[in-house]
Amino acid sequence: MAVYKRRYAPYTGSLTPEWSRFFVLTRFAFAELFKSRFFVLLLILSLVPCLVFAAYIFIANNRTVQSLLPLAPADLFSVEARYFTVIVIVQTQVAFLLNCWVGPVLIAGDLTNGALPLFLSRPFKRSDYVLGKLSVLVLLLSAVTWVPCLLLFSLQAGLARNGWIWSHLWMIVPIVLCSGIWILMLSLLSLAVSAWVKLRIVATGVIFVTFFVPTGLGEMFNSIMGTHWGRLLNFSDMFRLILAQGFREQSASGILGPMGWNEIPVPAAWGVLILLCLLSLVILNARLRAREAVRG
Amino acid sequence: MMNPTIELNGLEVQLGGRTILHGLTGILRSRAIGLLGPNGAGKSTLINTLLGFHAPSKGSVRVLGLDSHADAQALRSLVGYMPENDAFIAKMSGVRFVRYMAEISGLPSAQAMERAHEAFVYVGLGEARYRPVGTYSLGMKQLAKLAQAIAHGPKLLILDEPTNGMDPPARKRLIELIREIREASDICLLLSSHLLRDVEETCDEVLILRNGKIASICNLVEERRANRKFLELETIGAEATFTTTLEALGCECAVFADGRIKVVMPDKVEIREVFKVAADKGVQIRRMNHRRDSLEDIFLNAMEQTGAADGRI
Repeated sequence: MAVYKRRYAPYTGSLTPEWSRFFVLTRFAFAELFKSRFFVLLLILSLVPCLVFAAYIFIANNRTVQSLLPLAPADLFSVEARYFTVIVIVQTQVAFLLNCWVGPVLIAGDLTNGALPLFLSRPFKRSDYVLGKLSVLVLLLSAVTWVPCLLLFSLQAGLARNGWIWSHLWMIVPIVLCSGIWILMLSLLSLAVSAWVKLRIVATGVIFVTFFVPTGLGEMFNSIMGTHWGRLLNFSDMFRLILAQGFREQSASGILGPMGWNEIPVPAAWGVLILLCLLSLVILNARLRAREAVRG
Repeated sequence: MMNPTIELNGLEVQLGGRTILHGLTGILRSRAIGLLGPNGAGKSTLINTLLGFHAPSKGSVRVLGLDSHADAQALRSLVGYMPENDAFIAKMSGVRFVRYMAEISGLPSAQAMERAHEAFVYVGLGEARYRPVGTYSLGMKQLAKLAQAIAHGPKLLILDEPTNGMDPPARKRLIELIREIREASDICLLLSSHLLRDVEETCDEVLILRNGKIASICNLVEERRANRKFLELETIGAEATFTTTLEALGCECAVFADGRIKVVMPDKVEIREVFKVAADKGVQIRRMNHRRDSLEDIFLNAMEQTGAADGRI
């Protein structure tokens, strides 16, 4: 089918492995995303807190710089588990905002233009489609959560005295694991919303509503029933609870807000986040069809 | 004998609790198959079942020897599909869109890009390939859909109402393209349309559906070969000797009231000879209608046969 010949000819060349084709979606989605200057700006801004954290770590490990500061008691600059808990909390909130911008367009665009039959009429499963779109968010949110956290951890390990890394190596697990569950939950939720709501602005609104309305309802439930189980609907707090346990926090002050330390068992918090992921998968399964069946 | 392109074995499909396709059975062997039927006959449901989008509730269907449900992935790797409705990615340029689809079909990036350019030029959209697909006219979108369906070089091209919304010149061009594609390689073609002319011009065999059942399977090539010429005459003064003489030439005659005669002409007899016989016998031919059986006759005949099963006509 050479251009100059203007004749149809079948393709006889090699093919890529089937398992790798989901990544085509990821690649094309990233290419589209990076065309937007606003997105690039947002991504850069998402990493600004990390620079501040890095500066703090540098100062905390540099006596000369500390001596130049007017107020520098040595214990003010402490880089321990609590510090990394704060980094993870800040970066996961940044990830939430980034996700609200990127997530809603990923599937909605394909559904609006009826492109799904084109994908699914190829040797390409629905699971490949979801995996391809999910990878966009997972890679992007990883780039602003656990990846910079680990870099900051490495920076601290490099600057601190010998032995710090070995006594704090366990922190890699909560950094990766807690960021992981948050990323997975956010990504699946925004894909489900994207598959459900076609307009970007509405989808972004729905993501916010999904986080804030259940929190309010939970508080109402607590007030009426005189219990604290309504907090299960506060997904951010459930994540912080998991995070606090992961980082072996001894008190909840500054992490869990007004929530008591032992009000909700940690397995229940895990259960809520996993349930949210499963619910998102159910929605995706219902919405991502090449054709809709007409009931009657 | 050619291997079957499509084998329907008691195929039944239910959607939303309603039976859409009722036990379709038949074998289609031609390389270019037309799918005809009125709206709601089940054409699109059959195509979706062939693509593995719907699972049969009973029976099965094999396409190019592969079960549409059990071997769906293998089958889809052989198929190029042009859907009936709008299906594109509005913000992407045409060539990028086709490249994207080709890469999902498994072509490496460089080859996908090359084939996308070639496909776009081939369908006649070379000048518009860098424009976003969302800005294309309806006809251009149809061509872009065709380009994405052929870019990866499928073995079976499924076209669902390809000429929908196209003006006559664009339709003619698209039909020519489909015929070229068919003739340029060993690609099989399944074309669903409610436009009989589209099917007649591109297909060798037709499957006519009605209310989710097969109204007819008709091999157009054989039909064209066996097709006979009909003459409908309105005459004055025709005696028995006129029809006897025509029958002696090999014609079949049926005489009706008011001098109306229907004549089935063998290939070797020309109409000129009918005029000659009429002149010899002093018969006035006041009106003559000459025609062959068209796909329209075949289609209307199939539609008239209530409860028509799987029979050939």
